[in-house]
Amino acid sequence: MAVKVLILEDNPAAREFLGRVVRESFSDTITIVEAGDLESARREVRIAGGAQGYHGVDPFKLVLVDLELPDGSGLELLEELRQYPATKIVTTLYSDDEHLFPALQAGADGYLLKEDRFELLVEELQKIVRGEPPLSPAIARRLLGHFRTNTRTGMNRRITDEGNGESLRANGGSSTFTSALAFAAPSPVVIEPALDLPALTPREVEVLTFLSKGFTIKEIAALMSIKWFTVNDHIKSIYRKLNVSSRAEAAVLASKQGLV
Amino acid sequence: MSHGRVRPMGWRRLLLLPIALLASLAVVVLARTLAQTPDLDARWRLDGTGHLQLIATDLPWMRAALGHSLEVIVAPGIAPLYVDGRRVVNSTRWVASDEDRDAAARQQRQMAHMLAAGVPVLLGFTDRMSARVTPHARGYATLGITFWLLCGLGLALELVGAVVILVRQDVRNLLYAIMAQCQAAQLLLAAVDAVPGIGNVSLLGGHEAALRMSLDVITCAALLNATLLYPTPLPPRRALAWLSWTAAAVFTGAVMMFELPQAWWWSEALSLSTGLLVIGLLGWSYRITPHPYATVMRRLSIVTTGSLALVTIVVALNDRMPGEVQSLVTAVPVIWTVFFASLLLMSPFLARSQHMMREFAMLAGVSTLATSVDLLFVAVFSFNQFASITTSLFVALGVYAASRQWLLDQMIGARAVTTERLFEHLLRIARKVEEQPERAADWQLELFHAVFQPLVARHEPGFTQTTRWYEGGAGLLVPLAVEPQVNVDSPSQFHGDDQPEPRLIVLRFAERGKRLFTAEDARLADRIVEQLRRAVAHDRALEQGRSEERGRIAQDLHDDIGARLLTLMYKAPNTEMEDYVRHTLQDLKTLTRGLAATTHFLSHASAEWKADIAQRLAPTGCTLAWSFTQDTEIQLNVVQWSGLTRILRELVSNIIAHAHATHATIHADLSCGMLKLSVTDNGVGGTPKDWSTGLGLGGIRKRVRMLGGTIAWQQNTPEGVRCDVSVPLAVPSTPAASSPPTSPGAVAG
Repeated sequence: MAVKVLILEDNPAAREFLGRVVRESFSDTITIVEAGDLESARREVRIAGGAQGYHGVDPFKLVLVDLELPDGSGLELLEELRQYPATKIVTTLYSDDEHLFPALQAGADGYLLKEDRFELLVEELQKIVRGEPPLSPAIARRLLGHFRTNTRTGMNRRITDEGNGESLRANGGSSTFTSALAFAAPSPVVIEPALDLPALTPREVEVLTFLSKGFTIKEIAALMSIKWFTVNDHIKSIYRKLNVSSRAEAAVLASKQGLV
Repeated sequence: MSHGRVRPMGWRRLLLLPIALLASLAVVVLARTLAQTPDLDARWRLDGTGHLQLIATDLPWMRAALGHSLEVIVAPGIAPLYVDGRRVVNSTRWVASDEDRDAAARQQRQMAHMLAAGVPVLLGFTDRMSARVTPHARGYATLGITFWLLCGLGLALELVGAVVILVRQDVRNLLYAIMAQCQAAQLLLAAVDAVPGIGNVSLLGGHEAALRMSLDVITCAALLNATLLYPTPLPPRRALAWLSWTAAAVFTGAVMMFELPQAWWWSEALSLSTGLLVIGLLGWSYRITPHPYATVMRRLSIVTTGSLALVTIVVALNDRMPGEVQSLVTAVPVIWTVFFASLLLMSPFLARSQHMMREFAMLAGVSTLATSVDLLFVAVFSFNQFASITTSLFVALGVYAASRQWLLDQMIGARAVTTERLFEHLLRIARKVEEQPERAADWQLELFHAVFQPLVARHEPGFTQTTRWYEGGAGLLVPLAVEPQVNVDSPSQFHGDDQPEPRLIVLRFAERGKRLFTAEDARLADRIVEQLRRAVAHDRALEQGRSEERGRIAQDLHDDIGARLLTLMYKAPNTEMEDYVRHTLQDLKTLTRGLAATTHFLSHASAEWKADIAQRLAPTGCTLAWSFTQDTEIQLNVVQWSGLTRILRELVSNIIAHAHATHATIHADLSCGMLKLSVTDNGVGGTPKDWSTGLGLGGIRKRVRMLGGTIAWQQNTPEGVRCDVSVPLAVPSTPAASSPPTSPGAVAG
């Protein structure tokens, strides 16, 4: 059976170009479904079995999403397809972290820069599908900041909770995942799921720090005296945690909005 | 003297009410008693010979005696009283010699005996004139305005004393309360003293003088004791306190029980020596701890003691004064008492007191001096009264007007910074806060340091809405106008430890400990904070507007031109054209990114350069050796960042496109504000001089020149080309927080 690929891109020339990149990258038979805006992309996803991707007979295996679209941002589709079991890749002109970081948080598995050469894009696409996502220094820096502030706000939340624990305890609805913790610690009950935000391991922090300084994976492997693919595993794990943490944050936000 | 936090005053307020009622009741009772004392319906004046001259009366049959002096009073059944005008005084407190005081007291008693309401007496005047009058109760109306004013002041002092002890019960406040009560009583007695007429009021009989002297001496003991404890506890406090209280007790006992000879001289000696001792102790205290309270109190003590010495001299010379000015002599001590009482009244609120309070004290002090000096002129140079009063009045007013500000400054301490300097500081700091928002707290500290020149200035966590002062003006708590911005991108964040962020500026001991912070200072600090906030908010709004505008332009460029270039690139007929367009697109992206972000850290930029170059070289099979060192972290502005990015990209493009190199080495080093780049390859460079100018070299040269740097190519041995670029990048000055920087600080850009 052919591998189904969705390309969401409003520029016809770019769509055609990306199609060529995809065909070049894989040896399987490829069925490319093209969409020029968010609306038609959603329609295609529904036809292929819905955004959850569980009941689909023939779901997409690969989704390329442009960020700037006539009827909105590609981020919206990425959010909707969070649970969708496909490799999701952002294709964009925007290589800066301000644009890419939210896309990664929204569950993108990697990104391609549209102005790169054909050969380079093919190589990059293959890497992402193999599970070797790119990570630029700027994004690595953002990731470090992201996980650091996450832990910090988590701590701050706990401190404020001790102050007004009463009011929060009254709304005990969201305390399912901390009830075990509450038993373990006799101190005031922690309502916020701050602890659920994943923290980076020291090794991951190390890898990120090297990446943020512009080292390549090979150089990092040499510097840390570990295997190349171990570094890559760390990067994959960081990607995963970013996704998880953004989902946890969303949950916190949602529960807060429910509380207020 | 009351300082610190005022705790909630539940029971205290309840207690204050009966105290206030009681005190008011006492005044009412006093006034009522006085109103019932008998008085003659006549007004008198001391003439030059020491006789009482009748100057006004409502009784028609006494009119004939107008201008004549009273010689004798005859009452039925009692020996006639020959009136000595000089002895007709209500109070004998300020009579120097024992005999005079006894005589005055005796005459007072006799007169009180004679004049009883309803019993007619015969007044004998000079030139054999006489008139029969019946004394009657004087009533409230004739008590005189001075009486009520003094009573009011006494009441106020009494209440302040009560409040101080109620707010906090400790030794210091107890001592203040004692002083306040004594002086309040003193003021009430002075009020009685001020009641006009010869129908003498002697409520206390012969003990009046003794009581008033004792009150003064007790006040002195308390004052000395308080000085020993505050602002700095002094070593000999125990011994001296014992000594002073013993002296006060001995004096009081002696003057009350045994009619101490030369009592007045004793009391004055004790008061003056206390004054001198206090001055000395406060000077010592300041040397131990430079608390501004000590300096301010010392200045006040000098003024008080000096004026008391003058008053003492004037009263002692009373006998040599002509009769006309004697009433003035009795007024001098009253003025001094008011002066001292007002100082006492304002001392707990020294920092809070408004101008009016100070002016009042000033006026009282200056009038004490003026009157005393006037009387001294009269006594020493035998001026006639009118001439001397006029002269001294003019002199006193002149001195007061001329030196008022200087005197005020001397008493309270001057602010060191003029208005212009203040504005200068404010503007300078506002700019610095804008330039280095992460050091905003330090800059604000520097500003307040420059304005108030305190001994101690530091940050503290905490919160205050407006400026507050504490310890009665020893310290000032100022809120931070602008909280330091934590730069999220700052490279130092990874080893930053979480310190509590400062929110307050604590200043202690204004003017290097010479001055107390006043309510005006607090207001000034608030205004400064407000102005600083406004200035910074304005600058930020401006900067935000600018960056929004830049961002919008960047967005437009990127979206419109970028999309078109992309289409153009995909449709390029050949790879050469495709590469050209790609290049243009990348330049456009650098440009727009430079527009969107205002500054880039050099270390961040170098990381991106490295990653970018490595990625570009990798497909060509060219290895990269990259090294980067910097002696300090700096921020690149837009021009520097995009310039350097494009120079590097162009150089690498040349290596890829023309050199066919297998290895490239890039060194970058920032030291002393100079960035040195060297790009070396092992390709087929040839002689740089022979290169055509179409290789983008012109573009590189132009950019280097724009950054004010130099560039040079040279043939590398054994093969390849080496390119050296050096570009000056200004390093922002990093002044120490403690020492104010001299220059505004050159920031990149």
